[in-house]
Amino acid sequence: MSFAATLVLMAEIWVWIGLAISALFLTIGIGRVDEDARGAYVFRPLLVPGIILIWPLVLWRWWIIETGRDDWAKRHQPPRAFHAQAWMVLAVVIPLIFLAALAARQSTELLTPPVLLEAPQ
Amino acid sequence: MSDKEDPFFVGYLPAPKSLRWFLAGVSLLLILAFPLFSWAVSVTQEDPGPSGYRFDFGRQTLTGTITLAPYPTLHVTEGSELVAAGETILLAGVGKFGVANRVSDFDGALATLQGIILDRGDLRMLQVAGGRRGVMAAEGEAPTLDIEPLGRWRLSGEICDGKCLAGAMRPGTGIGHRACAQLCLVGEVPPVFVASEPINGHEFFLIGTADGAPIGRDLIDFVGLYVEAEGEISLRGGMPVLIIDPETVESL
Amino acid sequence: MSVKYIPVQWNPNKYVYDAVMLAAVAAFLWFFMFVSPDLLAHDRPITGQIRTARAFGACAFFMLTVILCIGPLARLDARFLPLLYNRRHFGVMAFFIALTHAYAILGWYFSFTPIETYEALLSTNTSFDRVRGFPFEILGLFALLCLGVLALTSHDFWMKFLTPPIWKALHFLIYAAYAAVIGHVALGVLQDGHATGLTVAFGLSGALVIALHLAAVMKDRRAGDPAASIAQDGWEVACHADQVEEGFGKVAVLSTGERVAVFRQEGKLSAISNACSHQNGPLGEGRIIDCLVTCPWHGFQYNVTNGRSPEPFTETVPTYDLRIDGAKVLIRSEPNPPGTYVEPVAATPANKDTV
Repeated sequence: MSFAATLVLMAEIWVWIGLAISALFLTIGIGRVDEDARGAYVFRPLLVPGIILIWPLVLWRWWIIETGRDDWAKRHQPPRAFHAQAWMVLAVVIPLIFLAALAARQSTELLTPPVLLEAPQ
Repeated sequence: MSDKEDPFFVGYLPAPKSLRWFLAGVSLLLILAFPLFSWAVSVTQEDPGPSGYRFDFGRQTLTGTITLAPYPTLHVTEGSELVAAGETILLAGVGKFGVANRVSDFDGALATLQGIILDRGDLRMLQVAGGRRGVMAAEGEAPTLDIEPLGRWRLSGEICDGKCLAGAMRPGTGIGHRACAQLCLVGEVPPVFVASEPINGHEFFLIGTADGAPIGRDLIDFVGLYVEAEGEISLRGGMPVLIIDPETVESL
Repeated sequence: MSVKYIPVQWNPNKYVYDAVMLAAVAAFLWFFMFVSPDLLAHDRPITGQIRTARAFGACAFFMLTVILCIGPLARLDARFLPLLYNRRHFGVMAFFIALTHAYAILGWYFSFTPIETYEALLSTNTSFDRVRGFPFEILGLFALLCLGVLALTSHDFWMKFLTPPIWKALHFLIYAAYAAVIGHVALGVLQDGHATGLTVAFGLSGALVIALHLAAVMKDRRAGDPAASIAQDGWEVACHADQVEEGFGKVAVLSTGERVAVFRQEGKLSAISNACSHQNGPLGEGRIIDCLVTCPWHGFQYNVTNGRSPEPFTETVPTYDLRIDGAKVLIRSEPNPPGTYVEPVAATPANKDTV
């Protein structure tokens, strides 16, 4: 099996696990972890694609809340400093990517006329 | 602290009066900026060139001599309004497929093919129709093909898949189209070298290898780039063919 | 604010927002797909599917550019905050526009082949070792996945379930996605398009996004929230009482790194966490409306004395113990659990002995 086919298969497995976890979470879990979700059903299908994408995170949070490990203080500690750090890096990386790509661009001026190396016998 | 004088917007309440003009201005700016960017990007698109399907001539029925190597071609003996007898054209299937397996019984023999023509300058390709009527045996004696050697050349240009180059996709060349062209070549659609300048009036050369096998990954990796390559050029029944020397291929 | 979740909460401002956004996107696509072919006047025009893919791709890029400008613009000038209010609809729309681009490409360049479409996407061009001819499609796929994660976790449920900091961390993927999109464009379409206008359009967009973010970073450094100074055991000086105006907040960064917002209501001071429980918006930059602290981002409201949203809403934020020492406002470094009542303190020097 090729590497690409393996990746596609892994992605399919990821999606199927995600679907199974969606079914479990949206029927059993969601009401246990969030009182605002109790009795609210119409919005639940909207969550399915998100759960499929990030199901390991869903399982982790579910476990944290179920086991009473959720730390209320952490809810109010936004990672604000990250914006500045990220843009200091991106302000270098983005122009670098852009300029490197432009430098690698081939101009039609590189093309040369054909050269006869050996006349036909 | 927010400035006391600043208007304060709360999403579920009506917008403050002093903000309304500002927001109307921003909205207008956005509604203008979007088509402006659209204009900047869309009107700079390059002309994909004089290529395309010739649906205007309808389905063609052509009879001629099939040659399998380096890629299937048809040397036409009974032509049509569009393709004259004596011309040699490239053959490909529907989609990103060659037709080697469908015409394999006819190497050097006559066959009648049906399909749609794609063309770009002197490059012509028949997209052979699916089904039995696409490829049929034909009666008669197959003429032998004239081979006129033109010598060994160093060319610069681009390796393309002949089908998209001929207009199956417009544009069917370049980096944006690279993966598509690579898939076509993996599917054994005939590859074509687009030379920087014509040789004996020809700028498109069917690419082949010395052993007659389809080109390999080593050449497919160069698709869509400007490259330099060396090889033997000949006219086979009038079709320009470059028997490429893979070791000489270099990106410019 | 929500009591029970519903799929989408609408209000008149959101309708206007979405109408403007849809009009802008429609104008973009209409021009690209229906006006530009006539302007280009090619003898044999660009294939329709390719034009469609390009239109949606370019539109998604521009939407992403505008979306990324909203955050720093709102930091630089509060009048742009209404653009932030419904930004998620913009983001979700951008994802669907990008998805349409991807499907147009997959259904054209990666179809009609013996290799399955997704396998073809991952296996056809494998020149990862070169800049020219790099498989730029993979960068697009990465960006699309990031946009997918963002769009599909944009419902308020996700913020509450993941907690705003984790949700925000996840949504920082947008930065990686934008860098990938720049690579996708520069290593893809810009390699073929030799027209200067094309390069300038994409280059200026990227430059604008970078410049606005750097300007916002510099403004935060120059005029950001001041740090509190440690006074006595567990207490810190957040500000002076006369700096807090009636109905407004004053923010300070405590030694713990957390931000506290001190508000004055009816002459008395109270302190709550600066981070709104919805999306961690800066409550201290909001103001008191109808006796409730109102977040400048999405209008979530809290009683300043106990950090609780008014019934029937259930959101809470931590409160802080507060006392006055002369003109100084002292805050206890450790917050109280969300929803804890703290008696407001009259902000006059005479009051200090009674605290």
